[in-house]
Amino acid sequence: MTKPTCEDTFLKKRRSLGNDYYSLTFSPYSQAERCRPGHFVHLKLPGNDVFFRRAFSIAAVSPSAGEMEIIFKIVGRGTRAMAHLRPGDPINLLGPLGTPFKRPRKREHTLMVAGGIGFPPLLFLARDMISRGHDPKRIEFFYGGRTAGDVIERSRIKKLGVTFRPVTEDGSLGSKGLVTVPVEEFIENHDNGNCRIYGCGPEGMLKSTNELALRLGVPGQISLEAPMPCGIGVCLGCVVPLTDGGHARVCCDGPVFSIGEVAL
Amino acid sequence: MTADLGITIAGVEFANPVWTASGCCGYGEELARVFPLSRLGALVTKSITLEPRLGHPPPRVAETSAGMLNAIGLANVGVESFIDEKIPFLARQKTRTIVNVAGSTMGEYIEVCQRLNDVEHLDMVELNISCPNVDKGGMQFGADPSLTEEVVKSVKKVFTRPVIAKLSPNVTDIVEIARAAEQGGADAVSLINSMVGTAVDIETWRPRLTNNTGGLTGPAIKPIALAMVSAVHSSCRLPVIGIGGIAGWADAVEFLLCGATAVQVGTAVFVEPEAPVKIVRGLREYMRRKKLRTVNDLIGRVRKYG
Repeated sequence: MTKPTCEDTFLKKRRSLGNDYYSLTFSPYSQAERCRPGHFVHLKLPGNDVFFRRAFSIAAVSPSAGEMEIIFKIVGRGTRAMAHLRPGDPINLLGPLGTPFKRPRKREHTLMVAGGIGFPPLLFLARDMISRGHDPKRIEFFYGGRTAGDVIERSRIKKLGVTFRPVTEDGSLGSKGLVTVPVEEFIENHDNGNCRIYGCGPEGMLKSTNELALRLGVPGQISLEAPMPCGIGVCLGCVVPLTDGGHARVCCDGPVFSIGEVAL
Repeated sequence: MTADLGITIAGVEFANPVWTASGCCGYGEELARVFPLSRLGALVTKSITLEPRLGHPPPRVAETSAGMLNAIGLANVGVESFIDEKIPFLARQKTRTIVNVAGSTMGEYIEVCQRLNDVEHLDMVELNISCPNVDKGGMQFGADPSLTEEVVKSVKKVFTRPVIAKLSPNVTDIVEIARAAEQGGADAVSLINSMVGTAVDIETWRPRLTNNTGGLTGPAIKPIALAMVSAVHSSCRLPVIGIGGIAGWADAVEFLLCGATAVQVGTAVFVEPEAPVKIVRGLREYMRRKKLRTVNDLIGRVRKYG
């Protein structure tokens, strides 16, 4: 686990992405350079209305500008308060936290399997891979949502040059149905030993992705989400059951776990 | 004039009166990545039981107004792994180590303390006779004066260093329990552990914790803890260690004024991992401003109305 720092920073830019989705960019952030895809930051809102910190996967960093971006959807009190932050507002950042993704090998087909608000760490991973010389054409970016409004930042993903494969349950964008269906089709048409899956999204989607990967013998990792009081591994509040019968802390044993490791 | 933050409890000297509370700093390794543990007066470990425990299934924490509920269920590595794998790290830290001990039976407390007695690098044990989240043991001991006396007395026979009894607020009269601990030979009492509470999800009609109830901690319980510390300090000769919602240096000062010799910082560490360090700094500045030479100049000095 990376050694975190606790520092005060400010909201630099706030973008509304529609459908209750927001992007917040914080600056100056001294740790931008140390952030890796899969890492998260733990944010303390000013004031006492929201007691715990809130954990968010990092969506993008710009080390030269000292910036770090998160993308989230309003789901409760904490995210609602965050959506109301204004540029210039102070915020305390604890991070980077957690265990990041392991990068695939360059010749492998990388299958990003994103569901709804699970896409930010995969966006970071895809961009990081490309900057390290991976061929964007070998990155398949599957992105599922209930409707087209849940598949956000589409032009940003496409601009990376990856194969963008949107999927919606109502068919309003891309193919109709669940995101795992085209993922399975892709693997069946390719050498499974040369594919690697990276998943992040709602629990049901992760469960099917995990099962699919195990069934088809495709290695990979998934990133989990859990309410997290401390984020550094001391409170034991965010544990998930493992397939070996034990518990793991999402905050520091994860949030990134290998396929088959967690009992979903 | 520099303020001396040092304190002594049962012959053991502590560099300062700010400790971390059990269950809020694991076994020290994670917190040591945030600040050097030498800044703490002492580190109190997560409760140790005879066998490893997984604890309750998630969800086992819930946010509340100015606090949190937890029902972790004494998840820990068990005393053997603790001694083999965790003590070596703690022994290298330049802080006092206090091991919190929990059990389902009297025998379990005794056996764990017996094994800990052979460990060189620990300074005291703190008996968790106040955990509200387990079916057997825990609070059951701390709610009964004669069981409190008995468990302390039995542990004192097998553990030769000082013993702290950690008391529950979920009792009719905490003073009576503190006196029972004193009678049993405790060297100090720490209070308060968490208060029983619950929260319900109104969409699913499910409690927010799989254990159905949990222990409330954080700033929400500070006034209750302060009143109890004050009551125990006035009617019991043992040193009192104050716990409950301490998040900043001013909270620590309040506890010292009400009679605490030291304080433990718990839930605040989750929100602000550096909270204990900031409290030490703030306390030092406060003592300088008030021209106080030692912590003793504060302990129990609240000017109560007649």
